[in-house]
Amino acid sequence: MAVDQTMRVLVVDDYNTMIRIIRNLLKQLGFENVDDASDGTQALKKIEQNEYGLVISDWNMEPMTGYELLREVRARDQTARLPFIMVTAESKTENVIAAKKAGVNNYIVKPFNAETLRGKIDAVFGA
Amino acid sequence: MNTAKQAKAMDQDALAELSVRLKKTGKGDMSLNEVMGLAELMTASLQPLLRRIDTTLQRELRGILTRISSLREEISKVQADDIYSNRIPEMGRELSAVVNATENATNDIMEAAETMMNADRADPEKFARVVDTQVMAIFEACSFQDITGQRVTKVVQTVEVIEGRIDVLCQMLEINDISSNSDARTPAEKKRNARLQHGPAHAGEGNNQADIDAMF
Repeated sequence: MAVDQTMRVLVVDDYNTMIRIIRNLLKQLGFENVDDASDGTQALKKIEQNEYGLVISDWNMEPMTGYELLREVRARDQTARLPFIMVTAESKTENVIAAKKAGVNNYIVKPFNAETLRGKIDAVFGA
Repeated sequence: MNTAKQAKAMDQDALAELSVRLKKTGKGDMSLNEVMGLAELMTASLQPLLRRIDTTLQRELRGILTRISSLREEISKVQADDIYSNRIPEMGRELSAVVNATENATNDIMEAAETMMNADRADPEKFARVVDTQVMAIFEACSFQDITGQRVTKVVQTVEVIEGRIDVLCQMLEINDISSNSDARTPAEKKRNARLQHGPAHAGEGNNQADIDAMF
């Protein structure tokens, strides 16, 4: 099953450079419909206002971290099943386990390449 | 006979005299003169002890004074003012400059990459010129590493100076086991830890992508 490349993707990161990198990688992978937010709080507002097919979020952000965003997203009925990929430098086992318990669909450790991003998106959508 | 022996002999004589006087009085009462005499004897018998205490006390105080004076000298070597007013702010400035330089360079490199990615490929010659120009721009942007490398080296040297001074301080205060002190983390650090914000791991620490994939 091919991944729907027209879906709206939300990239959440507090570094503009990282947002730009992920945007460009997504563009290379055929995803043109990309929004961004600089932390969990801003992302949550955008998620409430728009319909996203995928969230790609960093962990370390202020005031709301990506992990807290994930928990908020999973706690709400409308977004409980929204595909969520964590892209972060946090590579400790306790982080991965916590994210998995909170319901993350996949986990990418920084630095990463386009192939890894493509692979995880495919895995999330069962492609 | 040295002073200590003399004092001891005096003690013994005084006690013997006291014993004789008490025996003389039998069960009975003592006159005021005898009481005064006993008091004198007892005071005299305490003199050597008091002299010894006095000498010891003086020696201890002299030791404490010497130690305080040497501590003051050593503390002045730590130059806390210099660390607080010059070195730490300078480290902050250097690290900010590193962050800015890397950010600018990354933006320049990405700008070039995006220009190439979006360039019109219909005209191969024109496209080649765009690529050549942008590749040069990438090379130029990469020169940031030389400057940031030097800045980071300066920071490392400053950290080493501060480490050396803290080491001196620990030695003079005879702090051998710093780890036994109470939790030294700042409230902000404790909050970050509670939110599982550890930051990037060093090479060989944490999990790589393959390890994480195995957990899914």
